[in-house]
Amino acid sequence: MVEIRDDLKYTETHEWVKVNDNIAVVGITDHAQSELTDIVYVELPEEGKEVKKGDELCVVESVKSVSEVYAPVSGKIVKVNKALEDTPETINKSPYDDGWLVEIEIKDKSELENLLDAEGYKKII
Amino acid sequence: MLKRSPLYELHKKLGATFTEFAGFEMPLYFSSIKDEHLTVRRTVGLFDVSHMSNIWVTGKEAEKLLTLTTIEDASRIKDGMSQYTAILREDGTIIDDVIFLHLGDKYMVIPNAGMDEVVTKWFNEKAEEYNIDAKATNVSKDFVILAIQGPRSRDTLQKLTDVDLKTVGFFACRYAKVAGEECILSHTGYTGELGFELQVTPTDIAEHIFTSILEAGEEYGIKPIGLGARDTLRLEKCFLLAGNEFEGGHTPLEAMLSWAINWDHEFIGKEALLKQKEKGDYPRLTCLECIDRGIPRHGCEVQKDGKKIGVVSSGTMSPCLNKGIAMAYLDPGYQEEGLEVDIIIRGRSVKAKVVKPPFVKQDWLKTHGG
Repeated sequence: MVEIRDDLKYTETHEWVKVNDNIAVVGITDHAQSELTDIVYVELPEEGKEVKKGDELCVVESVKSVSEVYAPVSGKIVKVNKALEDTPETINKSPYDDGWLVEIEIKDKSELENLLDAEGYKKII
Repeated sequence: MLKRSPLYELHKKLGATFTEFAGFEMPLYFSSIKDEHLTVRRTVGLFDVSHMSNIWVTGKEAEKLLTLTTIEDASRIKDGMSQYTAILREDGTIIDDVIFLHLGDKYMVIPNAGMDEVVTKWFNEKAEEYNIDAKATNVSKDFVILAIQGPRSRDTLQKLTDVDLKTVGFFACRYAKVAGEECILSHTGYTGELGFELQVTPTDIAEHIFTSILEAGEEYGIKPIGLGARDTLRLEKCFLLAGNEFEGGHTPLEAMLSWAINWDHEFIGKEALLKQKEKGDYPRLTCLECIDRGIPRHGCEVQKDGKKIGVVSSGTMSPCLNKGIAMAYLDPGYQEEGLEVDIIIRGRSVKAKVVKPPFVKQDWLKTHGG
């Protein structure tokens, strides 16, 4: 049973977003990590980088595949989860908590309205 | 319409996630690739590799046909022994790498998945062309192939057979009753660990053998293993994968198979190989271990000082080493152990060094606990 948290927003490409004022914390969902199985490598973006909604944010790799993670909102990347460089498997173990990928300073809050809520995400998986 | 192993339903029951490979729908993993991989290195795993092919080569001159069509002199491979070898085209490039088992007056040849018809046709055409009294018969549909691999593989299998497995030496083969059913047993495998393979026919007895092995291995923590781990296991030991290492035509000299060439016999492709050997200016399969973080993949360019020197044929994250590893065809002159090169992964330059095969040595388990 994959976990879907009610207090998060989601994208169709299986990213989750937690909104803290003007910061969006981004990660991949439990469904996404279970499809990838062992994540063995994460390529995080540079802090300070500007991204547009839909841009490739970073890459998450399993033994067999390379998976792009997309920016759910536009803004500046203010923090990345560097710990994942040594322990990428944290994403499998804790996709919504310790496995967060980046924090984005939100440029345009209206973009959040286009994201799915938990019910909406449940429907697409 | 994808083909399936006769054990498909059983795999489904065991929770397999499937993938497509060479026209077959096969288990990619059951628990996870990494978990299955380490299980094989540490204890024992059971693979269904029925997607591989089976060909009987029979007739008075069966040995002669194999001697002609492979880089091995089949007269050296006595009854009860098997051999890993390659079948070449006239231009010296590899059609397929195979194992053949000498069983009495006939040979069981095991080509790769999807190669059964091509290899059968090749054998029969050459038999006719060279007037050799031998015949190749494609029996792939009639066989299930199981591989039991890992330090505890012999202990597990021993419970199911009266044959003293300690007497079945490396690359030996014979008929044996396993779990009450007659099979062809060989001390062979694709993981670099102690292991055995079973050719099972008819296919309806295979499920019983598979589940018996899982039961027998339960005390050792046996797991069913999918193709994902099969690939990472073989790559850690620098074994070749058809479609990766000889996609686009490569000769055994290029593909790190010089050791398998028996030059003292006439074989198709020999002339071309001799010419290539003399010229010496051919690309060579080289083992690369990443120094920087990153996972090399098939097709990644390899550079030295900004200049392209080759391409990755197989790459992955080694579960044992936790490093990216790759085999790549590099221009001659870049094979020195310790040489640093750059692998370009999605536009990023990742430092790697040339290492001697295998990536994971025989003593890995000793230094990495049980």
